Amino acid sequence: MSKYVMVIDQRRCIGCMACIVACKAENDVPEEHFRTRVIQEVEGEFPKLRMELRSELCNHCDNPPCVYNCPTGASYKDKENGMVLLKKNRCVGCKACIASCPYDARYIDPRHGYADKCTFCSHRVAKGKEPACVQTCIGRSRIFGDIEDPESEVSLLLREHHHEVLKPAAGTEPNVYYINRILKG
Amino acid sequence: MTEVTITGMNSITYPHLEVWNWLVAMYLFLGGLSAGILIMSAIANLRKWPDSASGPHCEKGVMFAPFILAFGMLFIFLDLERKTNIFWFYLTLQPFSPMSWGAWGIMIIIPVSFLYALSTAPPESRHNLRFGVLIKLSDMMWPHMKRLAMISFGLGIFLGIYTGVLLSNMLARPLWNSPILPVLFLTSASSTGAAFLIIVARRAAVKLFYTKLDIWLIFAEIVIIVLFFYGQYNSSVSSKASIMPFFTLSHEFFFYFFAVFLMAVLLPLALVMKLIEMREDHADVLSEATIFRMNLSAVMVLTGGLIIRLALIYAGQLVKFM
Repeated sequence: MSKYVMVIDQRRCIGCMACIVACKAENDVPEEHFRTRVIQEVEGEFPKLRMELRSELCNHCDNPPCVYNCPTGASYKDKENGMVLLKKNRCVGCKACIASCPYDARYIDPRHGYADKCTFCSHRVAKGKEPACVQTCIGRSRIFGDIEDPESEVSLLLREHHHEVLKPAAGTEPNVYYINRILKG
Repeated sequence: MTEVTITGMNSITYPHLEVWNWLVAMYLFLGGLSAGILIMSAIANLRKWPDSASGPHCEKGVMFAPFILAFGMLFIFLDLERKTNIFWFYLTLQPFSPMSWGAWGIMIIIPVSFLYALSTAPPESRHNLRFGVLIKLSDMMWPHMKRLAMISFGLGIFLGIYTGVLLSNMLARPLWNSPILPVLFLTSASSTGAAFLIIVARRAAVKLFYTKLDIWLIFAEIVIIVLFFYGQYNSSVSSKASIMPFFTLSHEFFFYFFAVFLMAVLLPLALVMKLIEMREDHADVLSEATIFRMNLSAVMVLTGGLIIRLALIYAGQLVKFM
């Protein structure tokens, strides 16, 4: 069985926002909504400043509050590959998943009324391709792969580098890992 | 110094989450109110009254419970983005989703509370039910009134707690993510239920009975509200930040400050009015002035219950888990 994860190497992000554009084009994301975002955070006092470019997306958590709060089973965790996905036809648009996500990764598609979010481009992955944001990433900052395969690029990166996840205290066990994050707290 | 620039923030989550609004607050309020009516009427009907050996003492009020709950459901229905998919609630039971439990629970509570209401109709006034089938049903339920009252008491507790769990289950929203919230909502629900029954009850003894009960409930509610804010203040950074809108007198947060201010005035004032009421000697028939005072304090309690839910729904979406 596979377990897909994304590694974001922040040393390599140049903030070109191509990932955002690629995602919107690939997934027909409605206006004013995004499945991925890039946060530019500058910390410190001049001249001692440090800037972090941080890509954020659905963390495809192992302990996903969006799935537990969904009253209809529309949100589910795929047992085959670990992705948090949606059965859109089942969604009633109650917004419980949006309110329960600590990462604000979801939105309501105003054209159809269902909740939506990053799917790791599951339709592309099923065909053996990489997610659109990964394929388009000019600096190779986003790396996608199967963490269960010890020889995969993500496994090697995570073995060799110190890595962090967002909001670990939330206990959601995210599957998006960051290399070279500004240490918080 | 921290400067943050975000490219690609969803309009729904920026500058803060705006997914649930007054429709959900109304649903929680009306759900809580019907829960309170069920709990309070069950208490009244299960206790021994000095003036009669048996029989219902709350036959007027309990009939409102299923209709108020159904009316509350209308608000959550209006909040759904895909209303035609509502049947999916009833094609699955998600064990970890409070909303799923609530959807099923309400489907049980509405008919049971309706049967309970029918069972409380005394034989002499049963003709008021108008429809033959309802009168027959009422005849059938009459012997089971006590049993239905006990079941309704349990269902009322479930419903009152559920309205709080729906929010407290949201780890991502620190204002809601408190174990005290379901207790606060249950107490507030019971208090609003008692207040509602004070308004609709006709008999002086029943009105005074609920007034006595409501004194304890309002007192408990005030203590729980204080403990809720105190607990949040002494918890994590996120929890502390989440209550700040209630204590910040700025233009942006004025409504939250005003909500706390109103609750701090309404609830104690209603409590004082009820205490004065209890100290006075009352005849079997209450004077108009007494009834007015009782109803006024009950309206204050109901307003307080609505304000709590509105304030918590909106403020809960201002601060996220950090």
